[in-house]
Amino acid sequence: MNRIFKRLASLPISFYCLLLILLPLVYIFFLSFLKSDSYGGFTYVFTLQNYLKLFDVVYLKVFAQSFFIAFITTVICILISYPFCLFVNEKSKMVQSILMTLVILPFLTNSLIRTYGWMVLLRKEGIINTILLNFHIIKEPLSLMYNNLGIIIGMVYTLLPFMILPLYSSISKIDPRYIEAAKDLGASKLTIFFKIIVPLTVSGLFNGVLMVFIPCIGYFFISDLLGGGKLMLLGNLIKNQFLTARDWPFGAAISIALLLVTYLLVRIYRKSGGEMDDLGGL
Amino acid sequence: MKKIVCLLLLLFLVTGCSSNNENVLNVLNWSSYIPDEVIRAFEEETGIIVNYSTYSSNEELLAKISSAKTGTYDLIFPSDYMVELMIKRDLLEKMDTSLLENVSNLKEEYLGLEFDVNNEYSLPFLATTIVIAVNRDHVTDPISSYNDLLNEKFKNNIVLLDDQRIVIGMANQALGYSMNDVNATHLDNARDWLLTLKKNVKAFDSDSPKTFLITNEVDIGVMWNAEAALALQSNPNIEIIYPLENGALSLDNYAIVKGSKNTENAYKFIDYLLRADVMKTIIEEYPYINVNMETEKILDSSYLENPAANIPEEIIAKNEMVENIGSDISKYDRLWAEIK
Repeated sequence: MNRIFKRLASLPISFYCLLLILLPLVYIFFLSFLKSDSYGGFTYVFTLQNYLKLFDVVYLKVFAQSFFIAFITTVICILISYPFCLFVNEKSKMVQSILMTLVILPFLTNSLIRTYGWMVLLRKEGIINTILLNFHIIKEPLSLMYNNLGIIIGMVYTLLPFMILPLYSSISKIDPRYIEAAKDLGASKLTIFFKIIVPLTVSGLFNGVLMVFIPCIGYFFISDLLGGGKLMLLGNLIKNQFLTARDWPFGAAISIALLLVTYLLVRIYRKSGGEMDDLGGL
Repeated sequence: MKKIVCLLLLLFLVTGCSSNNENVLNVLNWSSYIPDEVIRAFEEETGIIVNYSTYSSNEELLAKISSAKTGTYDLIFPSDYMVELMIKRDLLEKMDTSLLENVSNLKEEYLGLEFDVNNEYSLPFLATTIVIAVNRDHVTDPISSYNDLLNEKFKNNIVLLDDQRIVIGMANQALGYSMNDVNATHLDNARDWLLTLKKNVKAFDSDSPKTFLITNEVDIGVMWNAEAALALQSNPNIEIIYPLENGALSLDNYAIVKGSKNTENAYKFIDYLLRADVMKTIIEEYPYINVNMETEKILDSSYLENPAANIPEEIIAKNEMVENIGSDISKYDRLWAEIK
């Protein structure tokens, strides 16, 4: 009975996944092997050209730039999230739920609008520079945006909750007795962190890494707005294929390549002993 | 709960009714192009309900038109090269100019251009050209051509459009080629030119480059004339420079989408926008280049005396237009990825 109910209950979501996720993916997959006709359409001729084009130095550079920004963003998110989650975990239940609600709160506002908010803060005559100048802390306005720093600030800000949420969920599951036992045995704080907390939260950490790293490659509006459109990320490149170069098949091929990278990351996680179920353990 | 469901159902019913209404017009236009008051006035005058949506690039327009069900949109405003492409892809309805009383208001020089020689599918709406805007509060160096922008003094101090055809076209023109050049060696030179210029570029932005000038983020901007005109309105010390090179002209056009179900209303709206006073309201809000003879006679001094709005005819005459370069567009795309 229970089993049948489970099946029935999962029908809508299976249908949803099939219709709205799988079908478009199949379409993109097919598209990536077609030839573009330069009028924004495509001809039904099989070609591997779109994939070969990915190995052009110019496009490899775009991959490298994207992974670089995504890597830095992910590392910074991890460095902020661990201390934050450990701090929250020590509070009372009440305070914990308030703090976690605050983490989710920004989602109520569209991320594009929040990015525009950052522009008001970071620009040359923006709030931060004006305050620092008026207090004579700096003499020249700082270049906080229209460079890589701006992109990373924007990415870290937007994606931080995606690191905090899964990490918090695994940290809150740690049995406090492990930590007490370690303390009794004379382990230092650092040892406790690296020998107990990190191994026990690796699934949450990896979940967070996936949820930060992958979107970071695709969030073209952040590099456009806070980076001044000077750095092309994979998201920009894909967008350009669909909206400027009118080369949908090449755009599709880049998207498939990106999917492969995601798949590889999950494979690495599983090879290192991670469970798929833990990834969904939000 | 029941009440809410009922209310929602009722809402669906109401919206269902309005979309079935015979007297509608579905317009798809560039963002920030026709003031709201103009559309409201048209609705009041004719009783036609205008469903207005916007796009921010020709390619976005193309994507919307080719993926939407036929009949979704009636009237669109593609630029020159996109008109040509849409005609080739059979996306446009032929236009019957005899239905337009005010068509004679249009200036000769904007009719019968290469992308639609007999104006069978399109009529000009507004034009725009590229100008250099310089904040003279901070920059004293003489600037007259694109090459002057390479000056090392302007490090991190320029905003350019985030538009590969326009920016690569600039480089081509600065080097003495046509802005639509696809010759491989010429494009290599254009790349090197742009890589030098990039050191001076603070940002590529097409949405609102004027903001960079107004907020003193940069002192030099290469942008569409209306943007520069608005920047000038908020800072009178901005100098408008017409580049020594040929420069770029873009012409946006009325066009009716193939399979449109409200063509009659589309003609009414076009005819309304062709009226001298209506066009005056539009270009006073968004100071692009006027293509209407009758409007010219009644324009206020605020438009006529703004050098970024009222562009001299000889400048427009030498401007080049973005042309369809077919599959060579991939060379431009690669070059764009290279300099970014």
